[in-house]
Order: sequence, then structure tokens, then C-alpha cells
Amino acid sequence: MDEIPKTAAPPEPVAHAAIEVDHLDFFYGDHQALYDIHLQIPAHKVTAFIGPSGCGKSTLLRCFNRMNDLVPVARIGHGQVRIHGTDIYGPKVDPIELRKRVGMVFQKSNPFPKSIYENVIYGLRIQGRTNRNELDEVVERSLRQAALWDEVKDRLHESGLGLSGGQQQRLCIARAIAVEPEIILMDEPCSALDPIATSKVEELIFDLKKLYTIVIVTHNMQQAGRCSDVTAFFYLGKLIEMDRTEKIFTNPGEKQTEDYITGRFG
Amino acid sequence: MKNPNRFDRKRLRIDHFIQWFFGSNALLAIIVLALITLFLFREGAEFFPQNLQNLRNYRLAGLEYVGIMRDQIEAHTSLNRSLQDLRLRQSNALLKRQSNALLKLGKTPEQISTALVPFDAFAASFDSSVEELRGLVSEWTDAVSEIKDKAKLREDALQQRQFLLKEGKRAEADAVRVTQIDFAAELAPIRSGFPLYRKASVAFRGKIETLLLQPPPLAARELQPRFEQFQKAARAYLASFPATERQLAKWEQFAPVPWHRAVTSFLFGKEWITNSFWQDWYGVLPLLTGSVLVAAIALAIAVPLGVCAAIYVSELATPLEQQLIKPYIEFISAIPSVVIGFFGVAVLGERLRELTQWQALSWISGFPISERLNAFTAGCLLALMAVPTIFSLAEDAINSVPRAFKEASYALGATRLQTMFRILIPASLSGIVSAVLLGFGRVIGETMVVLLCAGNRIAIPDFTQGLSAVFQPVHTMTGIVAQELGEVPNGTIHYRALFMVGLLLFFLALGINWLAQGIVRRYKISAG
Repeated sequence: MDEIPKTAAPPEPVAHAAIEVDHLDFFYGDHQALYDIHLQIPAHKVTAFIGPSGCGKSTLLRCFNRMNDLVPVARIGHGQVRIHGTDIYGPKVDPIELRKRVGMVFQKSNPFPKSIYENVIYGLRIQGRTNRNELDEVVERSLRQAALWDEVKDRLHESGLGLSGGQQQRLCIARAIAVEPEIILMDEPCSALDPIATSKVEELIFDLKKLYTIVIVTHNMQQAGRCSDVTAFFYLGKLIEMDRTEKIFTNPGEKQTEDYITGRFG
Repeated sequence: MKNPNRFDRKRLRIDHFIQWFFGSNALLAIIVLALITLFLFREGAEFFPQNLQNLRNYRLAGLEYVGIMRDQIEAHTSLNRSLQDLRLRQSNALLKRQSNALLKLGKTPEQISTALVPFDAFAASFDSSVEELRGLVSEWTDAVSEIKDKAKLREDALQQRQFLLKEGKRAEADAVRVTQIDFAAELAPIRSGFPLYRKASVAFRGKIETLLLQPPPLAARELQPRFEQFQKAARAYLASFPATERQLAKWEQFAPVPWHRAVTSFLFGKEWITNSFWQDWYGVLPLLTGSVLVAAIALAIAVPLGVCAAIYVSELATPLEQQLIKPYIEFISAIPSVVIGFFGVAVLGERLRELTQWQALSWISGFPISERLNAFTAGCLLALMAVPTIFSLAEDAINSVPRAFKEASYALGATRLQTMFRILIPASLSGIVSAVLLGFGRVIGETMVVLLCAGNRIAIPDFTQGLSAVFQPVHTMTGIVAQELGEVPNGTIHYRALFMVGLLLFFLALGINWLAQGIVRRYKISAG
């Protein structure tokens, strides 16, 4: 596998693309992290990004809500990222507004050192919303959607740091959906969780796709197989293959994909 | 195979040596520190018995008795001062009218003097009304001072004898003459003079009463309320006479001085008077107030500067700015404090005074300031020295907030400012608080700057004047030790008192550090 893989042919256009990535090149300083990525992410589906470490899948994910802006040396070389048709790197786009529409859940659960209640409404607080009834409603709705309500409803005002790892991660999901984003990006959300907590989060992802478009980066093949509709395989900063999940896992078009999925490298 | 374990043994010996080397260094450091602490305690602890003896002598020699009368006269002097102040205000008021040419109410200096004649006459007779009593009291003051000197001589002799006995020179010790003092007999002439005091006091009282019945017309009508204030104070003064008399009658020469007075007179004593012909007082309160006032001023300036700089450098600055600002601020702490003090004496004090003389600032209470060197000057300079401490520690605290918090906040659509105020600062608050506490510890222990720039007046600042109290000269605990320790004979009560001041500082610094560490430790638990 020493030769640099060639870029896959663009996948077929999807009916309702939430995110369209158009021949994207991405750099950290002089180092090119993404090469000519071209893909479309369908709305109200779960899209999984798989690939070995350092293949650029997290970088691509962070392009979708411009979290890469926080890295001083990161820059886009060429190409576009469009969300519902708008170029999110266009001059009129405010990354703050963008991030309200594109939520994110991180690899390591990171609730703020505040109460569970305050964690959930943080996104609303910074938008200046103070109506108590509205906030109470949002907390209950978000925690119910994150399947956490029954576990924490009696201790909403205790610290979020007192929850277990799985609960913390679901709290982070609740926090992300409290601002009612259109898209939720998940960066290996289960990598730090035990199997039971993982299966809970996976169930949650399955339920959430009715309401949100979900993009999930994962190292876990079974997870990608279980909960995603579409899977994209990346290798060395290139998109190798993207297709319906069953097809990728049963009959991949590229040999590299097959090798990776069957565990021959990675 | 002579010695199969030879290599291992050698290895063991080296391990032992390394362990011993590091261990003994740590031990040595601890022992030295413990010895220093012990020395402080040993030298300081002797203060309390000596102070008790000091207080006992004060009573036995009759200083306390005469002191009651001296206080009475002192109160009269302060009333007298307020009269003089009133005269100054009147003549100023008249002068002002003079300058107001349109109203044509002006008066020449000669006219002013004429206008003030009745008032001056009143003030003069008020001043002289005390003469008789003053004469009496000053005579007795000399007398009790003599008794006190005798007691002191006796104590010295006793000490000398004890010292000689300890050395084993019995013959020489016996040769030291220790005179017995009959305190009751010594004081008897003064106590029997009570009727004289009474007579003088009554006459004095009568004079003031008559004076108060004929108040002089004031040259400036608007000062009437002030004069009424004076009258009220004078009447209250007269009303206190019977109480003073009762106090004198009730006073007992041989009443025991409770032991705790030795402690309370140190901790809560409002006077620090040394080398006085009358009585030495070792009350730490003026010094403690001075130290705390200067430190509070310093922190009020340094905390916003240090914390804001830390927030700026860790969150907002460009990498280039970071590279410049951080070493620069840390460089400030490398300036020797005597240089900063020198700058304060030579430049800052004078500039500050000039600034306060500026008309546009005259509305601020206490402006223009009269003293070049005062608590504020010292506070400004100490702030400069506290900024690096606060800055470095606060920056560490902010940097130690997990990056994940920041990312989560940004991902939810927070701006940089919102992330800073809602996440970073709350999460690092305990670290910032402990940075401030350690800055306080740094400032309260600083010596050179306060010695040079705080003005060194041993008195509790007059806080009734509000904010302008910060522009009064003060003396500090560190300053007094540095100033006086070199000049006091070893082992005297003054020497011990300075050690007690040092001990107090030691405990203060210990408490602050303990508090700061406790806060940091708790923060670590909550973040984990």
C-alpha cells in the first residue's frame, strides 16, 4: 500500500444534499491534509467517515463548522464547502452563526463545570435568551431527545461533571441539540465509552436522524455498519470511496476499502 | 565464581548514596528552616513577660495615674487646635471676599486682623485657662518619671546580678547594689496632692464655662456651625471632668495587671512609641493598618492589571505579542526593590503630588495631597511588583482550563468574548483568586519600597476622612523591623517587640499561602 491512492470518481449526486464538498484542498501550514475532496452528504441520514488515523476525516468534519478557524495555520487551498447551497467560507458567512446551525459532539465528553441545566442551555444563554419557561422546556426536550431525561431529571442543578462517561456524552449531545441545529457533527463520540454506553449513544444516533443530518467520524467498523446509512472511506487525505453503507461493507468498489474493512491494515 | 553478587552490591551502594545525597539535602533545608522559625519564636516569646513588667511598672510608678491627667490636658490641646483651625478658616474666608472685587466686601490684612480681635482674645484666654493645671501636672510628670527611672535602674541591677550569678561570679554579684523601692511612699506626695488637682481643675472648669457663656462674634458668619461644633465638644469635655476625677480617686497603685494585657496591648495597641521619656508602647495596630492599607492599594491597582494582562496574553494576543509581553512583565520582577523605591522617592512621589495640584482634579477628596511620600505612592510601586506574580499565576490558571471547554463553547456558536467570560474565567477563577492571594503575600512582605516611600509616620490613618486616608503617610510592619532592629540593644523589650512584629508577619504570610494552596487544591478536585 505504498503508492499514493488515486482519488475516487465523484459519487452520484444525492437527492437532498445537506452538505456539498466541492474539490476541497486543505492545508495545515505547508502540509496538505486533504486532497480534492468531493462529496455530498444526504440530509436526514447518518453519514459515517471511516479510515485509518491521520487520514483527514476529522479535519474534513471540522471544516463543516469552521472549527479549523481556531487553528492559526489552517487554511483552505481550493474548493468549496456548501451547506444547503451556501458557501460557508464565503465572505458574508459568520462562523458564529454557522456553528449555531452545525452542532458538534467531541471525542472526549466535555461538559462545562456547570450544572446539568446550565450545560444544556449554554447555547441559548449566549444567544441572550432568558425566558425561564422557554429554557425549562428546551432542557426537558433536549434531554429527552438525548435519552438522558429520566436519569437526571431530579438533579438538573447538580454539576455535569458528576455524571458517568456515557451520561456526560449524552449530555454533550443534549447541549448540541438544544440550539436546534440542522446538522450534528460527531467526532468519534463513543471512543471513550464502554460498550453499554456506546450502544445507548448509537441508539440515540439512530433516533436523531429523523430530526437532524448526522455526520459521524468513527474508528469502529461495526459502529459504522450498525448506525450509518452512507459511509465514506478516507485514506491519506483522499476520499477513496463513498456509498451506501451495506454496499461498502459487503461489496466495496475499491480494493483499499476492502482491505481496510476486513482488517488487513489500519 | 568468587562473588556472584558483586555487581549488584555495587549498584546497591550507588543507589544508597544517591538516596542519601538527595535525602540529606532535603533534611538540611528543613532543619535550617525549622531553626529559623524556632529562633524567631524564642526571641519573640520573651516579649510578653517583659511587656507585662513594662505595664506593671507603668502602674506602680504612678505613670498611669498622672497619665489620666495628661490625657485631660491633651484633650484641651486638641480643642485649642480646632480653635486655631477656625481662625485660619475665618481669615481665609475674609481673604476670599477681598478677592471678589465685584462685591466690594473685601478687607485688607490689617482689617482682617482687626476683625478677628475678639476671636483671638477668646482663643487666647481659652488657651491660658489650663495653665495652672498644666503646671501641676508637669511637676508630677517629672516626679513619676523619676520613680520610673529608679525602677528601671533596679531592674537593670537585678538583671546584671542574675547574669553574674549565672556566670558563677558570686562575689561580684553580691557587690551589685539592688535598692528597694517603696512605690507607695514614692507616690504618696502626688496622691496627697489630689486636693490641689481638684482645686486647679475646678478653677479651670470655671474659666472655660465663663468663656463659653461669652462666645466671640465670628468674622465669617458661615463658619457659625463649626464654632457651634467646637462649643459642643468643649461642653462634652467639661462634662467628662467628674468622670476623670472619679477615675483618679478610684485608681489603685497595686491593682494587679492581668497577664493577657501583655498580649492585647501588643495586638490591639494603637500606639507604637519607643525611646519616650514618658512610657514606651508597643502596639502593632498602626503598623498592621499601614501594611494592610498599602497592600490593599497595591492590589487594587495590580489585580486588574495582572489579571487582564493574563487574559489578554493567553486568549487574545497574537503569538508575536505573547512572545513580547510575557517576558517583559516577568522581567519587572527582576528589578531590585530598592531601585523601585528609589524611583518612588525621586520621581513618582513628586509627580503624584504635582498631579493632585491640578485644578481639574480638586473635586477628589484629599486633593491636593500634602505629603509626597504616602501610602498611595508606596501602593503604586508595590502594585508594580505584584503584577508579575499575579500575571504569571493567573495566566497559568487560565491556560490550565482544558481546551475541550473552549472548543465546546465555540462549537455552540459562542464568540471569543462569551467563551472568555462564561467558560474560561469561571473555570479558572479559583486559580486567579489564589494568584491574587499570593500577590498579597508578596506585597505584605515587601520591605524596601515601603520603607522608602510610605512616609514612615507611625499612626493609624484617619479613616474618618474617607478616601483621602490613602494619601496619608503610614509606617509598616516590615518597615519598622528594618528601620529599628539595627539600633536596638540585644534583648531589650524593644528588640523583642520587633521580633513579635516579625512573627506576626510570618503568620500572616503563612495564612495567606495556606489559603491560596487550599483554593487551588479544591479547584483541582472539582475539575478532575
